[in-house]
Amino acid sequence: MLFTLLFIKAGYGQNEEEEKNRTSILCQTFLDKTEFKIGYSGTILWSNGIAIGAEYLWKEIEKTKERRNTQRTNTHQFLFNGNLGFATNFATKTDTGGFVNFGITWRRTNKKGKQFSIDLNPLGYYRSFLPETYEVNGDKVDKVFLPGRGYYSPSLSIGIGKQRKGKVRSGSYFGVTLSPRFNYNAGTLPTFSLQYGFRFNFKNKKQ
Amino acid sequence: MKQFNKFFSKIVFAAITLCLVIACSDDFNLNNLDETLFVRHKNADMAAYIRGNGSEKVFLITLHGGPGGNGLGFTGKAFDDIENQYGVVYFDQRGSGNSQGHYSEDDVSIDLMAEDVLALVKVMKHKFGSDSRFFLLGGSWGGTLGTATLLKDQSDFKGWIEVDGANNPAGLYDLYIETFTTTANTQIALGNSVNFWESVLELVSQVDPVNNLDDFLELNRKAFEAEEKLSDDGFIDSVENGIGGNETFFAYNYLTDLWNNSQISSILDNQGLFQTTDFTSQLPEITIPSLFISGKYDMVVPIASAQNAFENIGSTSKELLIFDRSGHGPMFSEPDRFAAEVLLFMDEHK
Repeated sequence: MLFTLLFIKAGYGQNEEEEKNRTSILCQTFLDKTEFKIGYSGTILWSNGIAIGAEYLWKEIEKTKERRNTQRTNTHQFLFNGNLGFATNFATKTDTGGFVNFGITWRRTNKKGKQFSIDLNPLGYYRSFLPETYEVNGDKVDKVFLPGRGYYSPSLSIGIGKQRKGKVRSGSYFGVTLSPRFNYNAGTLPTFSLQYGFRFNFKNKKQ
Repeated sequence: MKQFNKFFSKIVFAAITLCLVIACSDDFNLNNLDETLFVRHKNADMAAYIRGNGSEKVFLITLHGGPGGNGLGFTGKAFDDIENQYGVVYFDQRGSGNSQGHYSEDDVSIDLMAEDVLALVKVMKHKFGSDSRFFLLGGSWGGTLGTATLLKDQSDFKGWIEVDGANNPAGLYDLYIETFTTTANTQIALGNSVNFWESVLELVSQVDPVNNLDDFLELNRKAFEAEEKLSDDGFIDSVENGIGGNETFFAYNYLTDLWNNSQISSILDNQGLFQTTDFTSQLPEITIPSLFISGKYDMVVPIASAQNAFENIGSTSKELLIFDRSGHGPMFSEPDRFAAEVLLFMDEHK
């Protein structure tokens, strides 16, 4: 729903605003259009971990608006993204898990490089890793090998960031992520986490 | 360079081996246990935190309140003292605390949760040996679950300690009306928090005389408020001294804990926990030594519940202790006496 609205806005907004498509991205290579990211992922108080990922630029639109007699140009990007992460609570090791998710990102960047983005990752999987676990069936008790459980876990993130044009460390980001775990106990567990990290584009000139 | 690579490879290999050995190690110090394990039973993975002195292989298995509380919620001064002498197992019940799994609402029942407790005992025996001895302690809702567990199988337990336990949850509705009326009239006569106690009497006059969930939950909320007033007016000792540090806060993701609590409590509430569950007629079947502890000013599970259990239990060795300066948490308001009484009971029956 959110993305339908974003696409409609991107499409019909063209009639109202001066806008030009950047065709230059067509001739860019895969690595030119791909940023890698690494950063913190967790809730600070209860779980802390790391996440890595990549973002591939799919579409980029530059929009210029006239406000108070000055022209403001914002870049709107649609990117495919994928993330892989791991977080644990060190207190009891009872909330340890890894996740992987894929989806699409909409990001707006203003002239100063300040960014606002929304990630929707409908393909997501969370796997908990439990400490020593024993399974009981009747009177039989067996130690479980690699104990844990898998959950379908899509995610929605809202965040801000800062772009560093032309640099290898091409930007930083901070966001809040909602990633429900489906069929957790007898329902769906909503989980929230914070993401903070840096993006890298290795085709940019070295700093 | 080649030599350096060889040396470096050896270091990496040694480090990986060491990590694997540490990760796979089952070693534990029985005198000072600090183990976390999970019990997988009927589609649920439930956390058990094993602490304290297990040198005698005597363990106190605790069942938290709620439904939907958390195992480590008992930790504090009283249980620190108990841990010094015996092993204590704090258990996150199905759907509570850090427990997880895949199951439907229809699968959940008191009966299944009682089986979970017996599964925990089997795991404890598997890990610490079949010569291990167990006591069961249930607080509040844990008293209901503990009673259900013992009615299923009491053979593994040396004794039963019920703390402010509700072995007749369906009877709480009438007990609230009765206790609220008596306590409110007494407090008004003493001139204590008159406005509040008048609001209690007003609530009692407004609720349906026939037990229903909405009014029950309203009365239950008022019970907690009533205890706060009794604490403010000096009848209940502060629970602050007996509560543990920040450990519980950091052990449970607050939102997960809250969500689990609301889920499991609503499932059991909707199954009629507080409308139909009553173990009174089966209490004579429980014959192991039993200790009942209740706070004199317990408004949440009034003292009459403990008196009822004490009178009906089938044990020949039984005792009822009333803590004069406590409400619904004697382990926190009178931690020293609580630990001493529990240890005395365990020493006598281990």
